[in-house]
Amino acid sequence: MTFRVRAGKKGIELRLHELEAAIMDVVWRKDLREFAVSEVLGVLEKQRDIAYTTVMTTLSRLHDKGVLTRVRDGKRYRYSSKLSREQFLEATARDVLDRAVGGRQALVMLAEKLSEASSSELDDLEALIRRRRRELGK
Amino acid sequence: MSEIAFPFLGTAFVVLVVLPACALIAKALLWTLEHVETRGPLHGLRLRYLVLTGSSLLPLAWLLSAALHQAETGRSVVSCLFDHDTAALCFEPGLFTALLSALIVWSSVKELRHTRGARPSSSPNATALQQRMVRIVSTRWELQALAHSIYVTDELDYAIGVQGFLAPHVVVGLAYARGISDEELACALGHEAEHVRARDPLRYLVLSLALAVNPFGRQWLQPHATSWLAAREAHCDREAVIRGAGPLALAQALIRAARPGVCPAAALGARSASLLKLRVEMLMAFEERTPTRCCHREPSSILIVAALFIVAALLPHHAGTAALDALHFGTEHALHFFWR
Repeated sequence: MTFRVRAGKKGIELRLHELEAAIMDVVWRKDLREFAVSEVLGVLEKQRDIAYTTVMTTLSRLHDKGVLTRVRDGKRYRYSSKLSREQFLEATARDVLDRAVGGRQALVMLAEKLSEASSSELDDLEALIRRRRRELGK
Repeated sequence: MSEIAFPFLGTAFVVLVVLPACALIAKALLWTLEHVETRGPLHGLRLRYLVLTGSSLLPLAWLLSAALHQAETGRSVVSCLFDHDTAALCFEPGLFTALLSALIVWSSVKELRHTRGARPSSSPNATALQQRMVRIVSTRWELQALAHSIYVTDELDYAIGVQGFLAPHVVVGLAYARGISDEELACALGHEAEHVRARDPLRYLVLSLALAVNPFGRQWLQPHATSWLAAREAHCDREAVIRGAGPLALAQALIRAARPGVCPAAALGARSASLLKLRVEMLMAFEERTPTRCCHREPSSILIVAALFIVAALLPHHAGTAALDALHFGTEHALHFFWR
């Protein structure tokens, strides 16, 4: 999953790589307001093999990119997200909208039909929703 | 010769210089609006719509009204057009109006040929689906407004959408509705209810015509229009969730609607799934935290466009037609200069 963000008026461009996106997904999904490295590691460890130092470095990188803020708490840092997932997505929406290609007819449709080539992407999205529904017990 | 110079050269000047200049100014304005909006591109949609449509429609309304004003001789414009011996002054602006109107009608008809909605069906299957939807609508307060404005079509490629420029109504595809649950169908109807409330078919039509009458509208403004349309869809998703639709059920309904149909997609391979992904991810974010309404309820943008259109049409009758005079004399001088 790759995102580009232009935060604020300065037009900072950020790109989230796969692990960064996975960490932010944990932060938003678990609604972690203020967290230490170990709290993210605890969730991520259930999904993949990952070392403490990897999470620590990635969190530090997210802080450098301006996605997270941090305050020192003794020997460690406590992080918090600057943006909600919705705000983050809205900030990234410009890239997607700039590349949007649509029909020219004055028809209002729920979603435009995609080509066969996009079928696998639709399958992935459906799987993602099913997974989220299972997690939420819906 | 000079009598018909203004109508023809003036129309050419409007089409080749005035409208493209307006499109360029609109493009610069839209670019600025899209980039200074700190809340993201899903906000400020009303102003962007006004720029997109107003940049073509308002100058045309002014020019047509000004030319008609100059053609006024106390008789109808039509008789003035055919009897220019007794009204030399009225012939030129009259013919200018006729030529400009013909161009507008021609480009509008060409545009409207692309617009084709789905035909409602009254087959037994359609009636059964209609009853299912009546049941769904009756149990959800947020869908009450749609109680008498849902139709069913058995066109295979049609999922769900809103049609009708003056009386918008939701049209649901039989095959699409069969493949989704009641909850998903209710959420999809919730999304469409927002389009109905905002009279989006009419708004989209006006936008489409505004781009069509400007020879550079498609080239320069279409990307901004596409981005606006996409943002509008995301906005309707948010409104549906605020009004009670389940975000994940709506996301599921979206994906089902985007599934390739029997016929190949209109722009095979050109449409990427990234916009759909964005909408699905936004809905998943809404599942974590219920969204809040982004802006206060303001007058509908179609009403604002209509009001501005009327103002532009009335302006020449009160504030004079100096710009049209300049265009008139300019074209005649240009003709003399090149003709001598």
